[in-house]
This record gives sequence, C-alpha cells and structure tokens, in this order.
Amino acid sequence: MNFDQLKEDWNNNNNNHGEVSENMLKMKEAHTPIDKIRKQMKQEFFVQLLSLLLLAFTPKIFGFSSELKSIFILFYAISCAFCTYYFFKFYTFYKHSYDLGLDSRKNLLWFYYEMKLNIELYKALTYILGFIALSFCTTALFIIKGTLLSEILQKISMFYIVINAFVAILVIGLITEFWAKLYYGKYVKQIKTIIDSLDEE
Amino acid sequence: MPEPSTADFLQLINENKGIIHKVTKMYMDKVEDREDLFQEIVMQLWKAYHTFKGSSKFSTWMYRVALNTAIIFFKKENRKVDKTSLNEQIDIADHNDNQEKEEKLAYLYRAVQELNPIEKALIFLFLENQSHKEIAQNLGITEINARVKLNRTKEKLQQIIKKNGYEF
Repeated sequence: MNFDQLKEDWNNNNNNHGEVSENMLKMKEAHTPIDKIRKQMKQEFFVQLLSLLLLAFTPKIFGFSSELKSIFILFYAISCAFCTYYFFKFYTFYKHSYDLGLDSRKNLLWFYYEMKLNIELYKALTYILGFIALSFCTTALFIIKGTLLSEILQKISMFYIVINAFVAILVIGLITEFWAKLYYGKYVKQIKTIIDSLDEE
Repeated sequence: MPEPSTADFLQLINENKGIIHKVTKMYMDKVEDREDLFQEIVMQLWKAYHTFKGSSKFSTWMYRVALNTAIIFFKKENRKVDKTSLNEQIDIADHNDNQEKEEKLAYLYRAVQELNPIEKALIFLFLENQSHKEIAQNLGITEINARVKLNRTKEKLQQIIKKNGYEF
C-alpha cells in the first residue's frame, strides 16, 4: 500500500461543497457528552425542584400534628439547604465553558474529570436526601401514636430498627448507583476508553 | 476585546470547510451522521471562536477543534452502522465518476470506520501532511508515541483494506 500516493490523492480531493450559512450557527444546541449530561441534569433539576415544592404540602395533605409538623419543617429546611448548595454547584457546572482548542489529551481529561465530579455530586445529593427522608420517617413513626406500625415499633428491639435503616440506606445507594450508571455512566466509559487508547504505548 | 464578527467567522469557515468535510467523512459512515457532525463542528468552532487569538493559523486551530469534537462526538443511537450505504457510495464513485482516485478514497473512508477515534485522528493528521511532532502536539502525546501509534495504525489500516478485498 502506497501511503504517499494515498496522501497525494487525499490532498487533491475537493471537498468544498455547500456554503456554511449563518443559520447553521443557530440550528441546534451543542451535543458533546458534557452537553448531554448538562441537559439531563437540567431536566432532573426541574423535577427535583418541583418535588421539593410539592413536598412542602406534605403536612397539609397527611394532616400532621403540630409536633410532627415542627419536626417536618426542620427536616425540610435541612433538605432545602443541601439542595441549594448542590443546585448551585450544578449551576456552576452548567455555565462552565470548555475549550476544544486544547490538545486532545488535555481536552479528554478535562471532560472525563468534570463528568466524574458532577456525577459524584449528583450521587452525594441523592444519598443525603435519602438519608434525611429516612430519618424523618423513623422519627415520625416514634412520634405518631396509635397506629399498628408504631405499636410494632415500640415492641421490637432497637437492633432491628438500626438494621432496617442500614438496609434502606443500602437500597437507596444501589438505586442511586444504578441510576447514575444508566444515565451518565456510558458517556464516562466511552471517554475513558478513548483516553486509554491515547495512553497506550 | 471586540465581539467576534459572524461575517469574518463565516468567511474563514467557508475558506477552510474542506477540513471539516474530511473530518466528518473520516469519523462517520452515514450521510446523516456526517451532517450532524458537520453542524456540531461548526457550532463548536463558533462557540470557541473568541478563544482564537490569531497566534497560529486559523486552519491549525480549526484542526484541533474539529478533531476534538469528532473524537468525543457520539452519533445518534437509533442510527446503526449501515454498510450497504458505504457500498453504494463506492459503486457511485466507481460507475459515475469512474475515477480510480475516488474509488481509492471511498475504500479508505470505508476502512477507517473500523479504527478507533484516536487512530482515525492519527491517519487524518498524517494524510493532512502533519509531521510526527505536529501530530504529537495536536493529540497531547509524545513524539515517539505518535510515531509508534501511527505506524501501528497504518499497518492496521492496510490489513483492513486487504481484508475488504481491495489493495492499493
């Protein structure tokens, strides 16, 4: 195979068909893996925001006692504080620009670590919210008297409650990991494969 | 710093759009995917245009942005690799243009689809007359690594072309 001849043919080949118009600059959003993750995070942000707003009506819907309502407000405020912090982090990521003019290795590493970092932040927020929700439910069960569940809870050992809480956290963790892998994992994996192929000697 | 002018940008892009077309052919086998990638590259070039300081040639900067976009570009998942369309393209080149060079390049584009994104970048930069040093700088690897990788990729490409029943 004559690569020099091929090179010559390649360079003599005319590819100049069609003009690039101004419309092409406005046609669609960019779709790099980072843009895809950003788009998904944006969608999830609105879902989480809506969920948080709907959650505020929980005491009214379930008719909480004043004691339970006070505890709910405390847990709700903590959840809002965490969400504000993480939403701010996600917003910073969303607005952060990238430079494709870097060399390919630097560019790929930047994408890879940015994606990893934001996926970890996303997972951390889910863990925290799951933990807060579980803590509130456990507290509520101790406070609400007269229900079958609360009576059972009074009778069983503290050991079982701790084990149950541990299992619940584990399940939340597994669901979070699965969710993150399903939605974002494939992009990270693809970028990692390209980085590895660049580093191999 | 003044706002980048759309007219200036479009003029530069139109003068150098051959580079983008070659990159899209190198990275995508289907016409629709090539069009998507072409748009994506133009978009990314426009987004990054304010970072172009003019210290190097526009085409040099364009190579990097175009290749970096192509390397991380994931084609639409509902579109599968359609080898029939590639054969059709080769047939068109064969019967309509009847040019050996066109046919050769059509087989080349078909064969490179079996390479990974980095190997495609190596072959592309080599065909664009870039030295080992320039290839290394564009990809962010050492010159020795660029040389070794390029030689291996050339061998791999030769084998693919041979396997596909063509030799040049």
